[in-house]
Amino acid sequence: MTAESINHGGGALLEVASISKRFGGLHVFNDVSFAIPPGEVLGVIGPNGAGKTTLINVICGMLPPTSGNVRLDGKDMTGKPLHVTSRMGIVRSFQQTNTFRTATVRENISRAVRFSGGGEQVSKTIAPLIDQFELEPQLDEQSDKLPYGLQKMLGLILACAVRPKVLLLDEPAAGLERRERLRVDAFVSHARTELGCGVLIVEHDMDLVRRLCPKIMVLDSGRVLAEGPPAEVLARKDVIDAYLGAVDEEAA
Amino acid sequence: MIQFARSAARGGSYSETIGVLVIAAVFVVPWITENPMVYSLANQMLIAITAAFSVYIMLRMNLMTFAVPTFMAIGGYTVAMLGLRHGVTDVLLLGLASFVVPALFALPLGALVLRLTGVYFVLVTFVLTEITQLVLFETPGLTGGSNGLVGMPAVTFFGIELGDNRAVLQVTIGLALVGAIVTAVVTRGLRQHFAAIEENELLAQSLGLVVWHYKAFGFVIAAGVSGLAGFALVNMLLTAHPTSFSALSSVNYIAYTIIGGKSSMLGPIVGGALLIWAGDIFALRGEYSQFLFGFLIVVVVLLARDGIVGTIYRLGVRAVSRRTSSRKSPSAALGVPNAMEPLK
Repeated sequence: MTAESINHGGGALLEVASISKRFGGLHVFNDVSFAIPPGEVLGVIGPNGAGKTTLINVICGMLPPTSGNVRLDGKDMTGKPLHVTSRMGIVRSFQQTNTFRTATVRENISRAVRFSGGGEQVSKTIAPLIDQFELEPQLDEQSDKLPYGLQKMLGLILACAVRPKVLLLDEPAAGLERRERLRVDAFVSHARTELGCGVLIVEHDMDLVRRLCPKIMVLDSGRVLAEGPPAEVLARKDVIDAYLGAVDEEAA
Repeated sequence: MIQFARSAARGGSYSETIGVLVIAAVFVVPWITENPMVYSLANQMLIAITAAFSVYIMLRMNLMTFAVPTFMAIGGYTVAMLGLRHGVTDVLLLGLASFVVPALFALPLGALVLRLTGVYFVLVTFVLTEITQLVLFETPGLTGGSNGLVGMPAVTFFGIELGDNRAVLQVTIGLALVGAIVTAVVTRGLRQHFAAIEENELLAQSLGLVVWHYKAFGFVIAAGVSGLAGFALVNMLLTAHPTSFSALSSVNYIAYTIIGGKSSMLGPIVGGALLIWAGDIFALRGEYSQFLFGFLIVVVVLLARDGIVGTIYRLGVRAVSRRTSSRKSPSAALGVPNAMEPLK
């Protein structure tokens, strides 16, 4: 990795163009396109199996796309390995709690800072998050001994410690209590305003989506069903049908 | 003191230092005794420990390797060929060759096998050692085939011949010490990287760690350390023979590490020394020796899942915390607020 290609933080424009993913005969999603400018938030919703997590996996390089491309500030990132996209600034979080289990919170954070080549500056950037999530007293706790909610928050802090330009959050509020979900709001706000990140959120909590996402995209059976402001999109009949199942009017 | 013991057992900064010091301390053995049985036992223990170090390096990255005998064979045969065919006997040159040549072989092999994890990695490294056996037997022009390479000249140190029992043990100690230092430096220097790969490789990658760089580096270093063990073995036997590097011997090297404890560099030392000693004692029981050896392994695995060093650490921590908590009030020991204390 050359010096000029190493991520120095700040936001960047993520462009996903006509991306498709197929596993053999199974089309996970087809011809999906969108862009996330720095500081913007895009929500991706859809029923289970719609291809939302696979979309994140393809964008971050965990899986190669079948067709289409991913660009970050115009640079082609398509199919680049996970560590490369991460170092370039496309950073993901995971649906389940995902930390270095036997390491302390402090060791987790120091590993993230070290692996991304960050230093003092990064530590300063994430310090407000540690305060906000009340992790300060737990810094020397083993991470798998933390309550579930704090483990999820630690996962988000680790993503932030890699100096992201674009954050891909895979169900950040899943399994959290109502009070803890507000921490996700604070995290996204911090990522947008302090780091200038573009944020893609895959989420089932519609209240959270409404609060955080000025624009959403609905995936259903691998195609983009609708996109636009949440109030408008979530009122559409085809979107409601996709989530709740279409009602057979004749039978009704 | 508690911190010291904890660090040693958990693979902290002291465990590597202690490990290196323990190996270095064996240098006194040739000076305090001339008993050939002791020399033989010490030789076997140090060779086993050095081979187990390379298993330990790989286990730091959650990779169980059966390729140790392959790299031992490459190191051992390199030394034998240099001695027999090129007249190279200098122990420093031979030591360097026994480390570098297996490491160079490991580089392209690593590119192939390190894509695999778990049981697939185990299988491929086992097959690799079987293939090595086949090559050693079927290329008599190069390796001497089933006769091996016999009649190696004694190694020398600045012209001094190191051919007697004492000198052979000193060479083995020297090689084990180099192996210990290399293992200590690598596992200490890359502790956080190896631990991240061991615990959660996917997360490490997503945080920007170039995982295969570290895996390849660890594999190459482990191969070099195995080569040192191969040199020591060939030097002790004065013969490089295929049966010295059988695929099944890798099971022993893994057992030394797991039974000693894979979370600390002291594990392979304790495991190697104990099992070689036990094997030696059990050998006196004739046909029961393999049964007794197997029984010991089963007992240790059942009673000490973390290995001997890990279990001692766990019991030590439990004893210390019990003593600490008994000094507190009973309610504090249970972690509940004392009802007599005013609420703050």
